[in-house]
Amino acid sequence: MSGRGRRITDEEINELISKLQSMLPESRRRNAGRVSASKLLKETCSYIKSLHREVDGLSDRLAGLMDTMDSNSPQAEIVRGLLRS
Amino acid sequence: MADGEMTAKERKRKRGTESSSSSSAAAAAAEEEEAKWRTEGEQRTYSSRLIAALRRVRSSAAAPTDRARSRALREAADRALAVSARGRTRWSRAILLSGKARSLKRSRVLRPKPPAAASKSSRPPLEKKTRVLGRLVPGCRKLPLPSLLEEVSDYIAALQMQVRAMSAITEVLSAANAAPSPPPPPPPPQTM
Repeated sequence: MSGRGRRITDEEINELISKLQSMLPESRRRNAGRVSASKLLKETCSYIKSLHREVDGLSDRLAGLMDTMDSNSPQAEIVRGLLRS
Repeated sequence: MADGEMTAKERKRKRGTESSSSSSAAAAAAEEEEAKWRTEGEQRTYSSRLIAALRRVRSSAAAPTDRARSRALREAADRALAVSARGRTRWSRAILLSGKARSLKRSRVLRPKPPAAASKSSRPPLEKKTRVLGRLVPGCRKLPLPSLLEEVSDYIAALQMQVRAMSAITEVLSAANAAPSPPPPPPPPQTM
């Protein structure tokens, strides 16, 4: 699929639109029907950026909580227990 | 919410594979790999890796400030995510290979736009957005749209798992922090 040198056809664009649409979560799909490829690409970009921001936010919080992960603390045991279940 | 999303996504994905006969085999295989990001097993494995990485960051002297630790954590989380991908995707290989050089790559000046004739893989109106999307996914800056979408699809699924795993760990640690039993050591002052 990656070796195409020719111009992409309309049909292929349509397939890609469907695929793109299926990748976005329900909450972002405002139109149940056809949306333009351009709009979908934009939505996808926004979505990835928001996921990145979420991970950054979580990294900030985890950085603040790291001290509770001392090996001797009961908190660490809780985390280990959860990982085992 | 996650379960509902999974079902709807799987349904839509099945519809997607039906429409393309020539690449259906490859597409189906890719989607199977992609679906692994949604399994509990994958998330558990990732969580273990992440926690081990968090411990390393915590004990390393290289990240004294909260901001530096947060960044180191983000990198560790991304690295662990790329390891989970097992080298199947371009974005994961790019993360594993770049390491500290990643920030250098971001600040590099963009090359001038190639002439329209050279990028035959998408119509002009989509080119710009394709480029923006390509920049968001590690290692996919110059990919043509069809290949880019495969990477994007897997990358999004992986990011969603990363968010789920990190949220769960954060919740557990927050709750543990608030627990009344043996008083935890005083937390360091939060610098926001």
